[in-house]
Amino acid sequence: MDLGFLNNLVDGFIAAGTLNNLLFCLIGCMLGTLIGVLPGIGPIPTIAMLLPATYGLGPLTSLIMLAGIYYGAQYGGSTTSILVNMPGEASSVVTCIDGHQMAKKGRAGAALGVAALGSFFAGCVGTIFIAAFGPPLAAFAQKFSSPEYFALMVLGLVTAVVMAHGSLVKAVVMILIGLLFGLIGTDVNTGVQRYTFGVEELWDGMDFLPMVIGMFGIVEIIKNLEGPELARQAMSTRVRDLWPSLQDFKDSWKSVVRGTGIGSILGIVPGGGAVLAAFAAYTVEKKVAKDPSRFGKGAIEGVAGPEAANNAAAQTSFIPLLTLGLPSNAIMALMMGAMMIQGIAPGSAVMQTRPDLFWGMVASMWIGNLMLVIINLPMIGIWVKLLSMPYRLLYPAIIMFCMIGIYSTSSSFVQIVLTAVFTGFGYLLLRLDCEPAPLILGFILGPLMEENLRRSMVLSRGDPMIFLSRPISASLLAMALIVVLLIVLPQFRTTREQAFVED
Amino acid sequence: MIKVKSPRDFGAGLLFIVIGLGGFWFGRNLSVGVASRMGPGYFPMLLSGLIVAMGLLVAIKSLVFDGPSIEKPQFRPLFFVMLSMLSFGYLIERIGLALSVVTMIIIATFARRAKFKAIETIALAVGLAVFAVFVFIYGLGQSLPAWWGK
Repeated sequence: MDLGFLNNLVDGFIAAGTLNNLLFCLIGCMLGTLIGVLPGIGPIPTIAMLLPATYGLGPLTSLIMLAGIYYGAQYGGSTTSILVNMPGEASSVVTCIDGHQMAKKGRAGAALGVAALGSFFAGCVGTIFIAAFGPPLAAFAQKFSSPEYFALMVLGLVTAVVMAHGSLVKAVVMILIGLLFGLIGTDVNTGVQRYTFGVEELWDGMDFLPMVIGMFGIVEIIKNLEGPELARQAMSTRVRDLWPSLQDFKDSWKSVVRGTGIGSILGIVPGGGAVLAAFAAYTVEKKVAKDPSRFGKGAIEGVAGPEAANNAAAQTSFIPLLTLGLPSNAIMALMMGAMMIQGIAPGSAVMQTRPDLFWGMVASMWIGNLMLVIINLPMIGIWVKLLSMPYRLLYPAIIMFCMIGIYSTSSSFVQIVLTAVFTGFGYLLLRLDCEPAPLILGFILGPLMEENLRRSMVLSRGDPMIFLSRPISASLLAMALIVVLLIVLPQFRTTREQAFVED
Repeated sequence: MIKVKSPRDFGAGLLFIVIGLGGFWFGRNLSVGVASRMGPGYFPMLLSGLIVAMGLLVAIKSLVFDGPSIEKPQFRPLFFVMLSMLSFGYLIERIGLALSVVTMIIIATFARRAKFKAIETIALAVGLAVFAVFVFIYGLGQSLPAWWGK
């Protein structure tokens, strides 16, 4: 195996290791944890809310900070799951099952410790994974031209639908609506304006910040306000003995290794990612355990496996984005949006044109993971305090941060109005049981998909057979077709439905 | 008499149809072109058509299969949260960050169905306003007006 990537990794550490970058990595991790620890707020709204804070930074620094925010949010979600049994995000749902039971038995410290160390291990492996598999994949993607990219996006969107929660048909429509919204603005080929309604702010396309903050951040608040007053009783038992015992290590290290493996692979699959990885790891742990009945009653393996898996997957899901320019889930779509704002088009070219950016980001992932362990273990007391802060004081502050964030990046009332419009739209979707995450994916991919379809059609003079006559695009489409067939098969369908209700 | 068996899906289907038709209507002046030379309207029309078709599918399915009813929406949180957001956007150009934050927070607290606690609300609003001015204007140096007129 070619170990040249290790050299690149060293360069990456040099690029990422400047004091400025380290500082913003730390700030990102802290802010991410701070927001992510709040019950009911997952990584998507967290990233959306904190995105404006990264706009003023340089490309590498802002990406490092964003990645830090993402890991922080994810880690904060685990803390909340274990201590209050309220997952902030789907990938922590599984952690709740055994983690909170452990906490009830007074072993919150061990659960948090195992989650942190397991995640860190998974993060280390995930980083090496990206460093090793990124370059070959990017080299492969160099052969791609428009038809291949179009086929790849079809495959990515199809698998994203399969992995989405809830109704398949609705997920498909959400993607289509996202694609349509993505076309708002001036058509690059003809200069014609589409769906801009004469609003100047829409000429360059719709900003995705108002959409994401409205649909995820603000709708989340409204949802929480509609529910009964949350009796959030943080664990009254003191969190001490954070370092798991030797026995805990013995019981959990195998689960961590298995979880890391599962997560690393599922992270790469388009549409996969942290949520799927955590569910899969939990199922596997239950299957291999000698005594499966312990699960649900505070089995440490049930915390270690999924936590390692979701972190590994969070890491490796950057691979398709950084090498193919294909975001595999809504969070990666956000990352892609952030990269484009910085003037970087994610894809195979990034590694050639901006190696410092690619390798610096990979290195920063490892640094971020290390920082998380360092800041989380000693600072757990602060997070617990934050958990017990009443929601009536919290939500106005969150609204304020969102609004200042949007206003400070645009200085325009129109963007605030758009945010309000998308809040209403997101609320409607919530009531009608439509999961909005695929919409973001479509929104980001809309213009790219259209562009690649157009170019392919110009190449072939309008003959759609071009997608089937080229081997790579044909195999990608064949894979997409297989995925579609799998959904239609009743057997797989029930497995999928079960996979998401095991909570 | 046709009966809606799954109101949530029926609503979703209708919403999709409306969005798809909107795509057609507002894109009616875009030239479609042909496949080899796609006009600006080609992809939007394709998407709108698919959205309408899928919307019909969802709506028809909802007449056949049973499903959950739509939860009764509560307008109070939605209304006050949106009002507080819009008030901020409208006021910041006119009265500056400090006062628009105070207004926004006070409106936002009405989103909860609870007794109005004047002292707590005002303390929260003023506290956050001071925080925002110091962190965003002095700390991060963002070009937001702190007070009216500048």
